Amino acid sequence: MAKILIVDDELEVRTALKRRLIREGYAVEVADSAESSVKLLESEEAAFDVVITDMSMEEPDSGLRVLKAAIGHDIFCEVVVLTAYGNVTNAVQSMQLGAFDYVEKNIPGVDTYDLIVMKVEKALERRRSSINIVRRLEDIRPSKLKSGA
Amino acid sequence: MSIQETTNRDENSMALTSTTQKPNDCTFQAQLQSLIGLAITHPEIEEVLQAIMDEALRVVAGKRGFLAVVNYDTGEVVIKSTAGSGWTERTKKLRLHLAQETNRGITGHVALSGKPYMTGDASNDPYFLSFFPDVKSEIAVPVIEAEGNTRGVINIDSSEADAFDAGDIVRLESVADVAAFALIVNDFRTRERALIEIGNELSSIIDLESLVRKVVDVSAEVLRYEDCSVYLLDEQTDLLVLQASRGPLKESIGQATYELGQGITGWVAQHGEPVRILDVASDPRWRGVHLEIPREEMGALLCVPIISRDKVVGVIRVVRRRTQSSWFQNNFTEMDERVLTTIASQLGAAVENVRGFHRLLRAERMAAWGELSAKSAHMIGNRTFALKGDLNELRYILNQPSWTEQHDDLISLLESMEHGVTRLEEILHEFRDFVVATKVTLQDADINEIIQEVIAESFPKRSEIKLILQLAKDLPVVKCDETRLKRAFSELIENSVSFQPHGGELLIRSRLTDQSEQSRYRLAPSRQYVQVEFIDQGPGIPPDTKSRIFQPFFSSRVKGMGLGLSIVKGIVEAHHGIIIESGEPGKGAWFSIFLPTQRNESSAIKNGRS
Repeated sequence: MAKILIVDDELEVRTALKRRLIREGYAVEVADSAESSVKLLESEEAAFDVVITDMSMEEPDSGLRVLKAAIGHDIFCEVVVLTAYGNVTNAVQSMQLGAFDYVEKNIPGVDTYDLIVMKVEKALERRRSSINIVRRLEDIRPSKLKSGA
Repeated sequence: MSIQETTNRDENSMALTSTTQKPNDCTFQAQLQSLIGLAITHPEIEEVLQAIMDEALRVVAGKRGFLAVVNYDTGEVVIKSTAGSGWTERTKKLRLHLAQETNRGITGHVALSGKPYMTGDASNDPYFLSFFPDVKSEIAVPVIEAEGNTRGVINIDSSEADAFDAGDIVRLESVADVAAFALIVNDFRTRERALIEIGNELSSIIDLESLVRKVVDVSAEVLRYEDCSVYLLDEQTDLLVLQASRGPLKESIGQATYELGQGITGWVAQHGEPVRILDVASDPRWRGVHLEIPREEMGALLCVPIISRDKVVGVIRVVRRRTQSSWFQNNFTEMDERVLTTIASQLGAAVENVRGFHRLLRAERMAAWGELSAKSAHMIGNRTFALKGDLNELRYILNQPSWTEQHDDLISLLESMEHGVTRLEEILHEFRDFVVATKVTLQDADINEIIQEVIAESFPKRSEIKLILQLAKDLPVVKCDETRLKRAFSELIENSVSFQPHGGELLIRSRLTDQSEQSRYRLAPSRQYVQVEFIDQGPGIPPDTKSRIFQPFFSSRVKGMGLGLSIVKGIVEAHHGIIIESGEPGKGAWFSIFLPTQRNESSAIKNGRS
């Protein structure tokens, strides 16, 4: 079962997202700030496949901190960033830093939850394929990798 | 007339001194010198004039005497100081109308001619006017000011015939010079006091309206004018707009305007130079657009620019009525012009202060607005996002065939949505309160009444918190917007209640602010303040956040956007008041609100009623 971490400072947001993702069959954990999520991500037992984080929490760009911590701990971890509607500046930056994608929280007429679920599925696919590629590389050219090391 | 000359002339009349017991020159000179000293050092002009009159009576050995001053506005000579015997309260109040052709008396004659006069045979004198039955001789000299204007008259009588001679005139003229000196010194003192008063006042007033009113009142004392008007230049329209006046123009404040260059007022604003003229109507620039007194009565005009940072920001004009008698020149002096220019420059600096203050407020508010928009969009966005999640879940449940069995899930969804909508409403509420905090309509109100009503509305009926009320009796009226002030008070009460969840104490106190507090918090010294305090036993404000609690979006409570205390501050400042927090961290919060009381007039009315 894939493990997902939700980071948002608003209880209502965490509750709604968690409920939906559990319904989709994921194991879900939550953190209420960038600070606490970073602690969680850097701990030994951390093993999240996907992290969904809000961009603006303690700071307007707190999401970037979560993103760096997640990828820093596990290069295959996929991060989906949630942003305010119409605020793409930080979103672009997060893509450059390696986020899987960003989702605007309030797009008129769009079911954001369905969108997030879709992004999570795609993120998990990429994670699986990334891991597979690395494994195949290891299988096919173990000697070369070793000699290169 | 110099004292030297006096002594020379005095020698000629030495023969008379022995019979009428007149003092010798040395005593007289010493007396004059001590009177000059008195005029310089003694602050009360009445007592100085009294000493001068006593000496005047003594030096010519008269029976009784008086010093009268000319009132240029009314055309009267009014007694200011008396000496000798036989005066009653009624005779002390005698006035002479100089405009009348007859019955001006010797005093009136001297005032108009500016020359001394004496008679040794009063009953046959053409000018003599009998106030006392026993007068046989009378002597009067004018009190002449620096510019040559007659300021008043010293008049001495005697019950003996031919009691005075030319030497007496000379001696009395010396005394009159000292009297003129004393009056001028007093003028300077009055002006200095007034200027200092204006200076003190101007630095502490933050609303333009009361500032300008104060200037008009104080200059009235100093310049003896009929009326005074202040026009300020509107930065947007480039029109001079009337801000204050004492007479009939009062009705047109805010409406009467001059264009730059229009009339004398507009000319002064355009050229940045003062205008001082004796006869307004004869000046080609005069248009007579807005008149303080009827056209035919307009006399002298003094008009100076109000300058701030090398720019004309307005004009002060003072006018005098045309004088009743052609003998008088009721013009403004160069000294008057200097005084008004000084007042105008102080006003200019103060206007700049006030405008700068408002610009700062506007800028602060604009910045807050930007932040407010971003913050509220974020918060509303999050709430909507959560609500959307609930709706999404609702649809999912309803799409299942077994949805009727999921009653509990549906109820919890419903509760979550209700909660979300409430949060949205709270945000809108705060948003609105923040926006309207500074839009107040001020009306006279009893602060204690407001406090009691707020407590009835906002303090929880069942509470673990002990509420203590200490409301001072007979507080002066405060000009305030009841609804807004209640909002501010209730915010502080709700804060205190929410920070003492396990019970505690809230003390609400009202009282008159004392002088030491007034200066500690740099409140205007000339105003009276009422203070309302909210003192509790909650956790208080931590030292590191004390400086930020009144900023927008600062909150240690979960509810709303954190605008609460910034709204309170906005409301208090719109009342020209201040709010401070002075509690000891860990021991409780202590909020004090200082509100200026209504100016004397209306509080006097209130006291009169109670």
